[in-house]
Amino acid sequence: MSGPGPNSGSSSRRDFLRASALGGAALLLRVPILLPEEAHDAGRGFAPNKWITIDGNGAVTLVASRAEMGQGVRTALAMILAEELEADWKTVTVVTPSPGERYPGMRTGGSGSVSGYWMPLRKAGAAAREMLVAAAAESWGVPAAECRARAGAVVHARSGRTLGYGALATKAAAAGRPVPKEPALKPESEFRLLGTRVPRIDGPGIVTGRAVYGLDARPLNGAALVAVIARCPVPGGRVRSFDGSHASAIPGVRRVVPISTGVAVVADDTWSALRGRDALRVDWDEGENRAGSSEAYWARLREAAAGGRVTRSDGDPARALSGSAKRLEATYDYEFQAHAPVEPMNCFADVRPGRCTIRVGTQAPNQAQAAAAKLLGIPPESVTVEVPLLGGGFGRRLDHDYVPEAVELSRAIAAPVQVVWTRQDEFENDRFQPASTNALSAGLDAEGRLVAWRHKNTSFHLTQFGPFAPDDPDTYDGNPWGVFDNPYRVPNLSSEYAEAKAPVPTGSWRSVAYPSTVFARECFLDEAAQAAGKDPVAWRLALLEGGGVLRVGEYEIQRERLAAVVRLAAEKSGWGRPLATGRGAKRRAGRGVAANVYHGRTHVAQVAEVSVGDAGDVRVHRIVCAVDCGQVVNLAGVEGQVESGIVWGLSAALKTEIGFRDGRVQAKSFRDYPVLRFDETPAIEVHVVRSTEAPGGMGEPPVPPVAPAVANAIFAATGRRVRRLPVRAADLV
Amino acid sequence: MPTYVLTVNGSRRSVEAADPEMPLLWVLRDRLGLTGTKYGCGVGVCGACTVHVDGKAMRSCQVPVSSLPGHAVTTIEGLSKDGAHPCQQAWLEEDVAQCGYCQPGMIMTCAAKFDALQGVQGRPARATRESVEAAVSEHVCRCGTYARIRRALDRLWGTA
Repeated sequence: MSGPGPNSGSSSRRDFLRASALGGAALLLRVPILLPEEAHDAGRGFAPNKWITIDGNGAVTLVASRAEMGQGVRTALAMILAEELEADWKTVTVVTPSPGERYPGMRTGGSGSVSGYWMPLRKAGAAAREMLVAAAAESWGVPAAECRARAGAVVHARSGRTLGYGALATKAAAAGRPVPKEPALKPESEFRLLGTRVPRIDGPGIVTGRAVYGLDARPLNGAALVAVIARCPVPGGRVRSFDGSHASAIPGVRRVVPISTGVAVVADDTWSALRGRDALRVDWDEGENRAGSSEAYWARLREAAAGGRVTRSDGDPARALSGSAKRLEATYDYEFQAHAPVEPMNCFADVRPGRCTIRVGTQAPNQAQAAAAKLLGIPPESVTVEVPLLGGGFGRRLDHDYVPEAVELSRAIAAPVQVVWTRQDEFENDRFQPASTNALSAGLDAEGRLVAWRHKNTSFHLTQFGPFAPDDPDTYDGNPWGVFDNPYRVPNLSSEYAEAKAPVPTGSWRSVAYPSTVFARECFLDEAAQAAGKDPVAWRLALLEGGGVLRVGEYEIQRERLAAVVRLAAEKSGWGRPLATGRGAKRRAGRGVAANVYHGRTHVAQVAEVSVGDAGDVRVHRIVCAVDCGQVVNLAGVEGQVESGIVWGLSAALKTEIGFRDGRVQAKSFRDYPVLRFDETPAIEVHVVRSTEAPGGMGEPPVPPVAPAVANAIFAATGRRVRRLPVRAADLV
Repeated sequence: MPTYVLTVNGSRRSVEAADPEMPLLWVLRDRLGLTGTKYGCGVGVCGACTVHVDGKAMRSCQVPVSSLPGHAVTTIEGLSKDGAHPCQQAWLEEDVAQCGYCQPGMIMTCAAKFDALQGVQGRPARATRESVEAAVSEHVCRCGTYARIRRALDRLWGTA
């Protein structure tokens, strides 16, 4: 596995060393970036479409037009192209383009990159392959059908002749050669790259420190300035007045400039800017949130829970509930959460007359470009956006609030500048995952069958997607995720959603609404199983029995695929057999199961093994995950995303929450928001179902089942239901 | 402005700093262009900025520039030539990194323990494995690559 691999755009062989004059000094920047004009430059070789270029030496450059934030998208998208192209993976270089008319769809979220680009990239690769085969056949004067592409070359087996892609590039690019519109795709049985474990192409750059992230993409030593911004500690507050005289007196501080988001301290280096900000005196108008608190926000949520609408109704849930032999009710609460990527937000902007260059790690490059253009009153094509690697995204960088402030500042000081957020800025100005509450009712008939199910989720609205609009039908369309698309077969079922106006900025957080709703649904399902005297795995399988396709809104949910991963996770975890964990110690041990279908695409089941001490301390020892995400692109990537999603989910299940007091975010550092660490990480086992269904996406789907699997295991160990997250020791003793 | 002469990755570098408390992190990143050392929290909690000072893992955000003359600083860029250090190799073999931002710090912590292990042959391996696990547990990886870090440590230290 450590042999020669493909080249990251930032590794040595084909570095895009770019020089540009900034602030009078030359900048050499190693960023995996393809400028739009380079993409158009077919003169360098064979470039049948905007995704593929092959030069005369056979070097293959592939474009991955999504943001790389650790999900492995640059590797995965390139693998799809390389598979159909029959490229030699060792010769492949992957570049990230700049957004614009040519690359309009770079927005990276919703686990949609692989699923969205699956067919377009396969066709692009296959079309290029057919053109290379045609060029070789012409050279040899043989029928194309007798030729075969294989690992960067075309082979004519009968005569034993071979021509490499480099030798064929010019001929394949010949004017007049048509680009096949419907090329023949490879059958899955002939995949040689897809479905295997391929190491991340960015790995070598990362372990040597050469990989370039947004924060690294600033020229040095006076060629560009750095700024930190004093923002109101209460979300929504404004500057009333400020005194920048002490800040300006700090050596290295150049300017103190008021901008829309606060007061910017501009300096020669980050440390001077930070010291300058410490010396700044600002009188804040803290606005309507100044008395805001977790208690007040939760009261607002509980109040909103009285309203809302039904978004899906099967059968007659109200009647079935009132007529059921046994009824259960419970409320499940989920707290505010932060994203906390280890690389804080940052944005470099260089505004010149009539144009602008931005370097920023963002999941929304096109939106960043549009926002900068709008602010400056120039066309989007006059804004060049370069997207280096992202030091974590998780949905935080799907918003682009960190872009306009840098553009505004560069324009104000007429100089290139990088705005840097500190860790505390990051916590105080996050687009939080909102708190939400779930009210559930279930009814069993006399035989213990689940005949009625009501699930109402009440959440704060996501400010990232627009203002509070409770009368807008779009608010309810397909929502709430995890409730609306409940995959289980219950004859009388209702999905309800109520929204409260968010008191603080809110946005997408890895798997968005699912963690709260699936926590509630899967735990309450266990409560119903207990009431019916059924085993939680058998109970779920019974509710999925008969398979079939559930059509709700845009989703088509294949119940049998979910049942299959539930069975697989149960089998691999040793469900029903005695637990090893907890034996010999004074700890109570238990197993729990949970499952979910992510947007009808990716099917995940997890079994958690936990133990609980006398003080209510929870240890998660092992999580077994079974996943059916359709066709696997990079098996190592799928496994990595499961491991990652489980650790992510465990932090919110066991440890972290964002609280508010006096309008202020209580967390200032990782001390106050203690995300999971190495020594707290359970053994994680991943079992991937082989499938030729369309790929379903993997970044978010592993997250939602984590918390309910753990909570259900805690119940198995202690007999205590966990109905609010994060798990509190006091609830377990 | 006061000038400090530092030894960084084997080279002597002169750095001007008005503030003697300027952390090594910002000297490396903003003055010397060594951006492999990452800023994650600035208060010594996350470990992303970890470098070696005289072979020991230190959080560069907590080390003032004025304390450094006479000491040798090694950053991720200087850990090896072209990623040849056993820790870097183990990281590649286990395909550890996801976003990768915290990984230079993780690797520097791991490398300090590994290099010390080479110098104290005969000490029980178990103790050094526990020691590196405790040290790695002082780092934050928000992508949650811990399972693969464990496998990389298995390669370096032998299975736990």
